[in-house]
Amino acid sequence: MIPTIGHASVVVGLALTVYAVVAFVLAARGADPRLVTSGRRAVIGSFAAAGVGCVAMTISLLAHDFSVLYVAENNASTTPPFISAISLWAALEGSILFWALLATGWAALVLWRHRDRHPALMPWVGATLASVNVFFFAVMVWPGNPFLRTAPMGTEGLGPNALLQNHPFMALHPPLLYLGYTGLAVPFAFGIAALITRRLDEEWLRIVRRWTLIPWIFLTLGIVAGAWWSYEVLGWGGYWAWDPVENAALLPWLTATAFIHSSMVAERRGGLRIWSVALVIATFVLTLVGTFLTRSGVVASVHSFTQSAIGPWFLAAILIALAGALTLLVWRLPQLIGGGRPSGTVSRESAFLFNNVLFLGLTFAILFGTLLPLLVGATSGDTISVGAPWFNTVTAPIFIALLFLMGVGPALPWGTASWATVRERFTIPLLAAVLVTAAALALGLRNAGSVGTLGLAIFVGGVMVDEVRRGALARARSRDEDPATAFWRLTTRNRRRYGGYTVHLGVLVMAVAVAVSSGLAIDRTVTVEPGETARIGAYEITHQRLVVEPLADDARVIETRAEITYAGPQSGSLGTALRDYPNSPTAIATPAVRTSLAEDLYVTLLASDPETGAVTLHVFVNPLVVWIWIGGAIVGIGSAFAIWPERRARPVTLEQPQAVGAPSTEGA
Amino acid sequence: MRRLRWLLVPILVVPLGWLLFTGFGRDPREVASPLIGQPAPSWSFSTLAGNLLSTDDLAGRPYVVNFWASWCGPCVDEHPILTGTHETFGDELTMVGVLYQDAATDAEAFLARYGDSGYAHVLDPDGRLAIDYGVTGPPETFFVDADGIIRAKQFGPLTDAIMAERLAVIGLDG
Repeated sequence: MIPTIGHASVVVGLALTVYAVVAFVLAARGADPRLVTSGRRAVIGSFAAAGVGCVAMTISLLAHDFSVLYVAENNASTTPPFISAISLWAALEGSILFWALLATGWAALVLWRHRDRHPALMPWVGATLASVNVFFFAVMVWPGNPFLRTAPMGTEGLGPNALLQNHPFMALHPPLLYLGYTGLAVPFAFGIAALITRRLDEEWLRIVRRWTLIPWIFLTLGIVAGAWWSYEVLGWGGYWAWDPVENAALLPWLTATAFIHSSMVAERRGGLRIWSVALVIATFVLTLVGTFLTRSGVVASVHSFTQSAIGPWFLAAILIALAGALTLLVWRLPQLIGGGRPSGTVSRESAFLFNNVLFLGLTFAILFGTLLPLLVGATSGDTISVGAPWFNTVTAPIFIALLFLMGVGPALPWGTASWATVRERFTIPLLAAVLVTAAALALGLRNAGSVGTLGLAIFVGGVMVDEVRRGALARARSRDEDPATAFWRLTTRNRRRYGGYTVHLGVLVMAVAVAVSSGLAIDRTVTVEPGETARIGAYEITHQRLVVEPLADDARVIETRAEITYAGPQSGSLGTALRDYPNSPTAIATPAVRTSLAEDLYVTLLASDPETGAVTLHVFVNPLVVWIWIGGAIVGIGSAFAIWPERRARPVTLEQPQAVGAPSTEGA
Repeated sequence: MRRLRWLLVPILVVPLGWLLFTGFGRDPREVASPLIGQPAPSWSFSTLAGNLLSTDDLAGRPYVVNFWASWCGPCVDEHPILTGTHETFGDELTMVGVLYQDAATDAEAFLARYGDSGYAHVLDPDGRLAIDYGVTGPPETFFVDADGIIRAKQFGPLTDAIMAERLAVIGLDG
């Protein structure tokens, strides 16, 4: 009964989105304007239909209804409720259902929010978003039906993917990532609408700024949460492996980040129209390519789901979206050319443009590395893989250049910068950076990457702090406020700018943490008998005993666990285990991570001898790793600060009549 | 010149489409087996039916070794193909199933549900045979010729076309 309702809701969703496309296109071409309202209601209805589908699937999973193939393949009668519920997005068909929920949700939200505005753009925005959703519903009706039944019905399911059941982050990482992915269809839809209606001025850029930043925040947090999950679960001691699917999430993030920066220039100084449209198109197409790589099984990855029939559908969708958008772009090319005001070589504009070049360079490099195995496979038939060293070598210089620009760009004025300004703004931070680098070298830090990144980060951070300090002091002087008040008012009335600075600060923290943790990590493999102690860095690790027992909450899972005590900068005890899941051919490591602000102690069990109780452990001492997650949180906070609705001019009061019409600090 | 800009669309779309399309049907985890051209490992195991089966019993005729498990989804898909091949070739070809990390009772339930294959399945309790053959995960299928040399390998589920192609390598034409 419930799976039938679920399947019916998917069919209804498809019908509603198809209707919405037709209604929006007719309305845009001058038919009855009430069709816009009708189309919007159909999109909201499709959101409800996807919601019913997700609820039906969740109930089927919680009830262990093995008549549904998806449940039989991803659930067992012993699966705990939490894992059952999040299995909605643990495999192919369920994740597409969840995806459709988020995609229709974004569409409904955008159409509702702008229901009374932008009458020329909105029908085309609606038509584009509904077309994207038609695709997802069609996939669920034909090749990827989540409610497909099994006959005869089994009495027990295969159980959830072993990798997905041992960390609560699995509940967080995919939804965040999907929210980002699906949301990036919104700027694409506005870009298409602007192209079709020839309204290529700054209007659509102003609207999509927030609609790009919100999914960007989700995508950022999703990527960081994924790195964290991989660090806590996979047991190899790292957080980023340049896995094709990690790259797939990073690629649209890079182009979206480039767009967020270039749109500021386009909004303020005009021009860059082709560039802006091309970036939103690229971002959206890259989200589809990312999904394709994950869902079609064409590349090897931790994430790749089994090969399935939906691959060709996704490929068709990518090609239609790309060809359609490019055709439109080429058609409108004459209207897109020109319009910008000239600016100097050393200016904020040029810094932004250089930033865009670098982001695009990163995108191409990573795309190339990700698709190279396909290219080689297609031309020579060999199977190759492009590893982390290649990606690290190619991308590190670009990342460092971006870090540098991040400090310099925002401190440069719009228009043209004079030498005096450059000297005034950069001398002190440069001195501070040189001093800190010298101090780090004097203290015996010899890793070039770590020292260099630290020095650069001090320079960039110094420029930023100095910038904020000068702004606050100037305001305090001119308005006769105390510095703290001036600082608060300066930042809350320029949320975009100072939110952006906070994001940059978070990126700096992450950059230093990544450089130091990858440059100065200690990692050793030791074999110890019970009672024996090994030394790793400043830690003494003592193996107490080996335990083999079934898990308390799922007896089908056998855990082989080494119980360890450790002493050093941190001390205590930990258990690190290998778990045998009945549906996984290899044992799944459950690393133990003990985190402090200075470093993580990370212990993975590699092998054990049940006769003697001896264990082989891989022990890592990873400095500063926790700061990567803290930096990610700062990025999230900064971007939320930036998009928080800015308060209008304060209400007029009798005491302060002069507040009305006082010069705004916008654009300081 | 103005018309040339239209070339931009096919220049970007066609190569991307071609590249992604070639990915279908290839498995990125599939690496060539170093066992091709080598003598097949010899072994002796008990079957699901409780008899002893060894490579000596197989000598002189081509044979197919299929690693499978009851918990493996693609094994369900290729099951009718294996059964059909056994029916087609009868005595010309020996077929052997090897249980990969699986319990005998689960395997029997699988065969009861999807139909008995008609050929023998051996238990590989310690996974020794899987290690000898370098199996990374089921299903994997090896094709051994009448001289006991491994001639072909299939990584992942078989289709009728793949089966015919691999069988031709060990001298059997359907």
